[in-house]
Amino acid sequence: MTPAWAKVLIPIVLIAIGAVLVWAFSLAALEGGDRLALIALERVPESGVSNPITSVLLNFRAYDTLLEVAVLLTALLGIWSLGPAAPAFQPASPILGGMIAWVVPLLILSTGYMLWAGGHAPGGAFQAGALLGAAGVTLALGGDASAGLPGETRLRFLSVLGVLVFTAVGVILMALGYGFLTYPEGYAKWLIIFIETAATLSIGVTLAAAYLGGEPRDERTSRSAT
Amino acid sequence: MMIDLLALAVAFPLLGAVVVTATPSHARGLGLASAVLTTLTSLVLSLGVWRDGSVRSDFGGWGAPLGIGLQADGLSVAMLVMSNLVALAVSVYAGSYFSATARRHFWPLWLLLWSALNGLFLATDLFNLYVTLELLGLSAAALGALSGTRAAVAANLRYLLVGLLGSMTYLMGVALLYSRYGMLDIGLLAEVIEPGLVAWTAMALMFSGLFLKAALFPMHFWLPPAHANAPAPVSAALSALVVKAAFYLVLRLWLDLFDPVLNASVANVLGLLGAGAVIWGSWRALRAERLKLLAAYSTVAQMGYLFIAFPLLVATPPGLARDNLLAAVVLLAMTHGFAKAGFFLAAGLVQKTAGHDRINELGGAAQALPAATFAIGLAGVALIGLPPSGTFLAKWIMIEQAMIQGLWWWVVVIMLGTLLAAAYIFRVLGHAFNREPTPYRFVNDARTEIPALLLAFISAFVLGLIAQPLWTLLDQGVLG
Repeated sequence: MTPAWAKVLIPIVLIAIGAVLVWAFSLAALEGGDRLALIALERVPESGVSNPITSVLLNFRAYDTLLEVAVLLTALLGIWSLGPAAPAFQPASPILGGMIAWVVPLLILSTGYMLWAGGHAPGGAFQAGALLGAAGVTLALGGDASAGLPGETRLRFLSVLGVLVFTAVGVILMALGYGFLTYPEGYAKWLIIFIETAATLSIGVTLAAAYLGGEPRDERTSRSAT
Repeated sequence: MMIDLLALAVAFPLLGAVVVTATPSHARGLGLASAVLTTLTSLVLSLGVWRDGSVRSDFGGWGAPLGIGLQADGLSVAMLVMSNLVALAVSVYAGSYFSATARRHFWPLWLLLWSALNGLFLATDLFNLYVTLELLGLSAAALGALSGTRAAVAANLRYLLVGLLGSMTYLMGVALLYSRYGMLDIGLLAEVIEPGLVAWTAMALMFSGLFLKAALFPMHFWLPPAHANAPAPVSAALSALVVKAAFYLVLRLWLDLFDPVLNASVANVLGLLGAGAVIWGSWRALRAERLKLLAAYSTVAQMGYLFIAFPLLVATPPGLARDNLLAAVVLLAMTHGFAKAGFFLAAGLVQKTAGHDRINELGGAAQALPAATFAIGLAGVALIGLPPSGTFLAKWIMIEQAMIQGLWWWVVVIMLGTLLAAAYIFRVLGHAFNREPTPYRFVNDARTEIPALLLAFISAFVLGLIAQPLWTLLDQGVLG
């Protein structure tokens, strides 16, 4: 039971902290100096892509994004370490099944578009990966126990593909003398698309596998079960 | 061909994690290979800094403020060497500790944790630090839950949530600084930051987030169950390295970023919380029923000493004395890293052999596992701070400096903590070397034992500290 004084004191303290935060943030916004965004916008043309968000995520601060893709992988590995997935949903009715048969290919098609659009318009690996993941979730809701994902060996490979390609590109560029994740002039666009394609696959697979919520089925056991 | 050791110190464990995830059947061999490669990279990098000074590498060739880079200076390299050596030992130990199924889960998460640690020690960008904190917290909580028991999963879910709250609070502070100054690089920010509400609020937010992650008293509540229930190699890494990373970050921001906006009252608050941690953590360690819980509470206490250093640092004017004090703090953090990891690894062996880790029933463990008991004893020497351990030297410098500055109350706390540490270490060793049931009372015959205790106490604690009168006395005729 919360004591009576705590019921009064805690909200007061929280409101006081909130007030200080609002005051500090409004001061910060008023006094704000030169924005990093201005410098970034100025140099977007040098980044190999014309969408400023992509140029920040995949070029200026690519190392941050590499670690963020690793965070996603960690989350998935954490989920896998906790045990097997919950049983699958029951198979969808013919109407829902028919709709899923329409929606899933459309989602995969939009994934490809979103990935390509990221270079010059809003889009990119995270958005494309989210659409791909949604395709998997839709399949799982319709009763597909594996959410359309491949067997364990290929699933493991796909889930690490993003970090693998991202890091490998970085290390190879370093070995060639350009510096870690430093794209040589003229190649930035294609290297970014290469990394983003791998990241999209990994993000999509990770989101769908996370939705299933458990260790991948071992291929041998699932084969013997069918 | 160009070798960027800074990038490789993060990239090798990351690539290792990728490889062991993709080929789980070879997890142990490939994992160990990545561990050796990562440690070698970090050692070579550290050797370079030792010889030629700090190195910096800007990824993408943009440079601050637009891009991100990594930087290795003396402080980061000291933590890097300690962490990588401890992590290598933990890796070797884990190679034979885990079952074949647990191994598949351990290695990828462990290598991801390792890359987060290396990334954190080398980072120079406030937002990049946030990403490494996220990677570190997530992998640490997942590893802690690997023992699979209900208690472990519950404790580590709480650890995850507390860690998220900590990172979010830190991030809010970063957002505040970014909206005021429009940059994230620590070095550039330090040039423009000025005292005021914005800087103070940002500091309060970032520090409180990190205190939560460093388990600074009274925000330590999540640590003992999470560390005590994790598998032994994971407990070692969590206690020796992960909380230490949060402390490192407080020290780094204190020295490199918030220096112009600090004042003594902030340092005193940190010192007070540290003192609370020393007393409360040591007391709970003394009362703990299980060996791993004792070690976890001992971590709470040992983190406290590190924070007591802040008021001393502020009170000491720049110069040799302050440099010594700073070195002492880093030495204390490094020594605790080695000692606590060794303690947990040995405790894990005892637990595996005896089937439990209840301290009162550890009788005979010394006969069965002499090396493990010896390791606990040796680690105990460092945890208490007996000479010639690093803790001894560090506490010595801290006490000396506190005396010089007239801040005697910190000396009392350090001594009290040391006494309690001696008590909880000898309690373990006493049980470990004893087949007989232990007596129920501490003092059995007051008239004979109290004098003996007093004499021992004076010899161990009083004489060394209050030796000054002896010099005055000997002035009477002996010393010219």
